Amino acid sequence: MKIREIKFRKIVIPNKKADKKTDRRTRRGKRISWGYLFPSLAGVLLFFVLPFLVVIYYSMVDNPINKQFVFFENFVKVFNNAAFQQAASNTMKFSLVAVPLAVVLSLLLAMMLESEIPFKSQFRTFFLSPMMVPVASIILIWQVLFHFNGIVNDFIAIFGADKVDWIKSSHAQVVIVILFLWKNLGYNMILFMAALSSIPKDILEVAILESATPFQIFFHIKLRYLSSTILFVTIMSLINSFKVFREIYLLTGNYPYDTIYMLQHFMNNAFGQLDYQKLSAAAIMMSIVMVVLIGILFLTESYFGKDVEG
Amino acid sequence: MKLKRIGSLIAAAVIAAAALCGCAGQDKKAAKETQGDPDEQVYVGTYRSLTPDEGKYLSDAVLGTDGSVFYLEGNEFGVNLFSMKAGSGESSQMEVALEENMIPTNLGVDGEGNLLLGIMGYDDLEAKEPVLNRVVLKKLSPDGGELLSVDVGEVFLKNPNFYMTELLADKEGNFYVCTDMEIFVLDGQGALRGQVSPGQYISSMFLMRDGRVGAAYLGDRDFEVSVVSPDFRELQPVKSSVSLAYGTYQGSPDSDFLYSVEGVLYSLNLSDEKPVEILRWTDVDVNASFLDDFKILSDGRVVALTNDFTIGEGGREFIELTKKNRSEIPEKEVLTYGAYYLSFFAERDITAFNRQSEKYRIEVKEYGEAGDDTSAKVDLFAADLTGGNIPDIIDLTYCPLTLEKLVSLGVLEDLNPYLDGDDVIKREDYMESALKAYEREGKLYAMMPYYGVDVIVGKTSIVGEGKSWTVDDIMDLVDSKGSGTQLLPGADRWQILYLMCTMNQGLFVDKESGTCDFTGQEFGKILEFVKRFPAEANYDPSLEQLRNGEILLYRDTVTSASQYQMYDFMFAEPVNLIGYPTFGDSGLTLSSNGTTVGMSASSENKEGVWEFIRFNVTKDRQENVGSPNGGFPILRSALEKQFESDREPVYGKDENGAKKEMPKSTWASNMGSDNFTVEVYAATEEQTNRMMEMIETAQTGERMDQEILSIIMEESSGFFEGQKSVENVAEVIQNRVQLYLNETR
Repeated sequence: MKIREIKFRKIVIPNKKADKKTDRRTRRGKRISWGYLFPSLAGVLLFFVLPFLVVIYYSMVDNPINKQFVFFENFVKVFNNAAFQQAASNTMKFSLVAVPLAVVLSLLLAMMLESEIPFKSQFRTFFLSPMMVPVASIILIWQVLFHFNGIVNDFIAIFGADKVDWIKSSHAQVVIVILFLWKNLGYNMILFMAALSSIPKDILEVAILESATPFQIFFHIKLRYLSSTILFVTIMSLINSFKVFREIYLLTGNYPYDTIYMLQHFMNNAFGQLDYQKLSAAAIMMSIVMVVLIGILFLTESYFGKDVEG
Repeated sequence: MKLKRIGSLIAAAVIAAAALCGCAGQDKKAAKETQGDPDEQVYVGTYRSLTPDEGKYLSDAVLGTDGSVFYLEGNEFGVNLFSMKAGSGESSQMEVALEENMIPTNLGVDGEGNLLLGIMGYDDLEAKEPVLNRVVLKKLSPDGGELLSVDVGEVFLKNPNFYMTELLADKEGNFYVCTDMEIFVLDGQGALRGQVSPGQYISSMFLMRDGRVGAAYLGDRDFEVSVVSPDFRELQPVKSSVSLAYGTYQGSPDSDFLYSVEGVLYSLNLSDEKPVEILRWTDVDVNASFLDDFKILSDGRVVALTNDFTIGEGGREFIELTKKNRSEIPEKEVLTYGAYYLSFFAERDITAFNRQSEKYRIEVKEYGEAGDDTSAKVDLFAADLTGGNIPDIIDLTYCPLTLEKLVSLGVLEDLNPYLDGDDVIKREDYMESALKAYEREGKLYAMMPYYGVDVIVGKTSIVGEGKSWTVDDIMDLVDSKGSGTQLLPGADRWQILYLMCTMNQGLFVDKESGTCDFTGQEFGKILEFVKRFPAEANYDPSLEQLRNGEILLYRDTVTSASQYQMYDFMFAEPVNLIGYPTFGDSGLTLSSNGTTVGMSASSENKEGVWEFIRFNVTKDRQENVGSPNGGFPILRSALEKQFESDREPVYGKDENGAKKEMPKSTWASNMGSDNFTVEVYAATEEQTNRMMEMIETAQTGERMDQEILSIIMEESSGFFEGQKSVENVAEVIQNRVQLYLNETR
């Protein structure tokens, strides 16, 4: 007890010299850490925060010459614009169809390649190959396939069907969904394969010993362990679904058939027409939607995957 | 504490963003206030007009090695040689002993400061067509004393139409005579030593520092500079790592040669990797397009001779540029002139404005190089737009952005208050239709000083005497003719589609409601009609086809009343100038042909910009400065004066000495490979009245939007190639154009 008391006293008695030394050391440590942090902080500020603030500024002025503050007028204009509504609706429809398909199909493919099937390695290479093909070549392939005089129309003509204008009709979105899946399945599949191989084998073995069905193993064990990967793949696919504009643009130009007119078309055309107000307002609205969507995905993942990660 | 930190971070970011947005504007302000280092040496010009007195003309001029100018001035009695001293500007006549019926026509210099004189002799100068019978070359000392005279008729009289364009002599005393596409080398006694030709028009012949003679011309592929060697029968291209482009080339005592390309004067030694930039002509208020001759004198002065061919006899100037400290030059407020391409007219008007204005000085800012593509130039303009660096004056003639786009961006200032408040010029004095061409929603964004009228020409017997027509009229016309009849010379489907659609946007598009209708019968009819025409253009239509009715119409831009006579000649019948098919009152449109500029809404010196706009439309400029192909003036009185002058006949004498109307000028043109020239006589009152009517009734509405037109062109190919039905094509066009309209609202 005595010793403890002595120790206690030693701690509470203010030692100004020691405190000063500690303070100096702490300040020095802070300075050093700020010094290390500065390059990245400056980079983030200069290349991300500042441009975003400039975008906010542009979205709230009438034009770059007058620079009259108009508050949310540009947002209201863009929101009421029929082309923007069309683009938002198309982008949403596309993402709602293409992203789940990209996640589910790539997971199925990953599981298929996990099981004992012949030519596994060849299949893996086959599904990964679209990643190596340049976009221009992909577009060329798609044009050869889906042009009015393309292979697909030649093929369906064998069965007596009429020609379909795949790229310039309401069928266009189907063509783009196929293109998206073809391009993205391989990468997603590899991510799922890595995640599947990292599921602890002992848990799976215990489940088998406990007579769990493959269905139960998948839903109650694998899916839980895959939750963080599913989140990552979903976010990546969502981002990629917004970037499908590049392929559509190369296929059909600035003004495609209206069913494949995406938000990026709207913004790209606004940029081409030097309409920075419209562009900025649309970009901010799109980023808000993205933040909300990704937030929801994070919440979902933390809800379903917390027991596994914890 | 945390909140405080976050707050300070946001504040720092906002301050930095504001700095980022504002820094470009500050640069601009700094540039406007600072004229440069006061001790910097800059060239200052003295400009002396070589305008001859009434009834006289100036036939040739050349710069001497001491910077004096020698020129030949003629009148009905003969041609005399004059010299003007640099510095003092004193002019004096030089006596040259000439035999009867001998006329000095060309001037040149040798490397030692002597003057060369090319003289033509005729049998009888009073005759209707005097016959050339002598050619003499003389060498004179700078004070006019004759050093040498050789008769070279034996060499040149084999060609009865001989004329020389340039004359030089090298250090060995050989003469070099240039005749458009050939260079003759003669020895000091006048005997022919050699004859070379690049097979192209020789634009410059000059004496190099080492005494050799160089020639510049457009070769088979690129512009070439070669040495003319008296002992070789071929031109020897010079070896240089510098790319020598189209321009004016002259000799120099201090370098291998001087040359002026794209408005900049360079000095070049062939062994050097790059030339030395001497000056930019616009900085010294000289229009590089008018340069005839230039020299750098031993004391550093630059002398130049220019010839403004748009003015006529008063266009020659002797310019002397002397270096001075910038501090000695009165400061002027700088206006920036932004141009995607600096046209001949813009350069002419800017230099003229800079010379006469005591308060303002225009500096040109070109967006990109001449060879850059449009999108690269638009990107540069966009960078200026976002940075708040818009030029004070915006060239609209070559601007790839439409007027509507510039207006929607808020770039242009409404000129109405300036025009209405001006003490010198009055709105009612200007052609209303020309003013309306750049008017949108009651706001005036530009005044085009000169313009042309876009027309469709056809035989009156075929197209009738109507003032306008519709697409149905054109279809009926073609239907009434046999198969194989061409609508326009050698036109393919795309040209016909353009013809049928360009003035008919209103037929398919309602911009106000933002809707379109391409699925109706009218558009289908146009596509069906266009499909009749060939997919590929025929680049060799002939005059004969136009005359015998195989080709029905001709598309052109009329810039002079005398063009009527050219069309009469082409069709060999009276013609009617109608316009593009339209459902409006007139399918005629006006297109800018001069320095059409807009005022930047963000300019800090709008008064200065207005002064430049007004300068180009003042009575003095409108009546006296123009060019035969420059178009019609916007000032009504100047237009009327031009028509009056067009109607005024010129008389001469026929072979019997009787009074006879003579041609006023000659129009040269071509139809495919058929080149033709038409002698233009006085215009009739009917022609000038019709011209005036055309200008007054020209449409001012916009043409079909380029994006819409390109969608139509792209999709129509499916129908033309037989892959899709009219309905399918129209449905896709409708879908895509509607999307475009929705987006642009």
